[in-house]
Amino acid sequence: MKAGLSTKNAPSPNVVLPHYVFGALAFIAASVMLFFASDDIVSLYIGPKVLGIVHVLVLGWITMIIYGALYQLIPVVMEVKLYSEILAYISFFTLGLGTILMAISFWYSYILLTILIEIGATLVIVSTFLFAINAIKSSLSSSQRGVEIRFIVTSVFWLLLTILLGIFIILNTSYSWIGKSNVELLKIHANFGIIGWFMMLVIGVASKLLPMFFIAHKLKIKYLHYSYYLSNLGLVAISIVYTFYPNEILLLLLYIVITLGIIFFIKYNYDAYKARLRKKLDIGLKLSVFSFILLFLTIIFGFISFLSPDFMGSFNIQFSIAYGISLILGFFTSLILGQMYKTLPFIVWLQKYQDKVGKYKIPMPADMYSVKLANAHYYTYVPAILSLIIAVFAKCSLLVQISAGLFLLTSVLYAYNTFMIVYHKDISKPL
Amino acid sequence: MLENLSQEEQKVVNVIKTVIDPEVEINIVDLGLIYKVEINDNDKIIYVTMTLSARGCPVGDTIIKHVETVVEANWQDYKADVELVWEPEWTPEMITDEGKKFLNM
Repeated sequence: MKAGLSTKNAPSPNVVLPHYVFGALAFIAASVMLFFASDDIVSLYIGPKVLGIVHVLVLGWITMIIYGALYQLIPVVMEVKLYSEILAYISFFTLGLGTILMAISFWYSYILLTILIEIGATLVIVSTFLFAINAIKSSLSSSQRGVEIRFIVTSVFWLLLTILLGIFIILNTSYSWIGKSNVELLKIHANFGIIGWFMMLVIGVASKLLPMFFIAHKLKIKYLHYSYYLSNLGLVAISIVYTFYPNEILLLLLYIVITLGIIFFIKYNYDAYKARLRKKLDIGLKLSVFSFILLFLTIIFGFISFLSPDFMGSFNIQFSIAYGISLILGFFTSLILGQMYKTLPFIVWLQKYQDKVGKYKIPMPADMYSVKLANAHYYTYVPAILSLIIAVFAKCSLLVQISAGLFLLTSVLYAYNTFMIVYHKDISKPL
Repeated sequence: MLENLSQEEQKVVNVIKTVIDPEVEINIVDLGLIYKVEINDNDKIIYVTMTLSARGCPVGDTIIKHVETVVEANWQDYKADVELVWEPEWTPEMITDEGKKFLNM
């Protein structure tokens, strides 16, 4: 009768926690790197330093936390045990080491240290396959077939396609199997990665978690179905159009289809937000809600940079960079900052106290970190992201450095709370 | 949901009130999660029928264990039998007036 319970399925916290620790450190590293790359960013030069930062953020911060969170959430959402904890350990080490090697070699020049990049990229690819096997194998033994789960499983397939296409592009450069320009293939690769993998994963996970945290009921699940079909259909069609018939108007229409899909996802979660039980948002939900504002900004920047209207002139490059920033350091980062507070304390709390409830006086999950510091990094994060976007348009190196300073403060405060939770000492007292 | 309780069963409910939902931070009785409490004196079993606010709730197991622990700690000759049900589905309307006051609803 106890179907729907997941504590017994939860993996060992030792599998999950290192991901959160590595992610927090990567966020600090990226903030420091941002400070020293301020000139590159304002001169709009996508060179070694910017590539280094992007890889630390995308792999070391976002992907790392996603892996960790999913190793915890797959059992929760799918009501099964994780297929293999050993594979999860190996994927952690390969992703971590791969990220460090790639980041170092990009930062110091991606021409001299190609061998490091190759080793690093191979490790990341290995970790991706291991993660995908784990996620897909787990989902196969699950009887749960909700649309949120379908989003998560589909996103893993898109991730595999992203990686396979990436490998194909590298090989095609050497062997010229098909006459297509790598630029077109790279665009498909980026679409697969951003929309297929990251976005669909976020839609699946957020649509499961946010209504649960808002304790909202009677939501219109059909919105998520619309979102699923529109975004997948759009993405498949876009890859076909890019490959065979790269027509601007057709592509624009398809991007609108995908955006509609994303808007249905936003609408679903907005309804949950409106119906929430507790009107006052805690810090985790405050940051999560803010991430949706940044998602809107991302969509706007994305469309402008795709359309590249003539009257914008040289500003078009700025829009592309602002799109990347508002997506990576904006939407994803804000969502991770917030969702850490909604997941990590519970993971550690269950580990320390689940056998003590009712017998000992125990703290609540929210007592395991400093709410003051969490609030403080909300107020450093918001100006950090906004000033970075302004700095790109104003081409102001000093403003990038100020923003980097605010990001560094944010990341240090966030890491402090992460460590406080991960290394939480049992403080239970007999009743 | 909790109707026609004997005095002793009401005492069980009051004891279960010490179980707090760690997300909402109000007790699970006022949250409306407890559907039925029944004491069987012959078999020495206290039956509790309850639900959770969401399927796949990561702390569900712990909440149920918590209920068993506090009930058995207060009625040491009895065994607690907690049954988790998903029907009827929990809705915010099930929150007691006391709970609504706490949540500013």
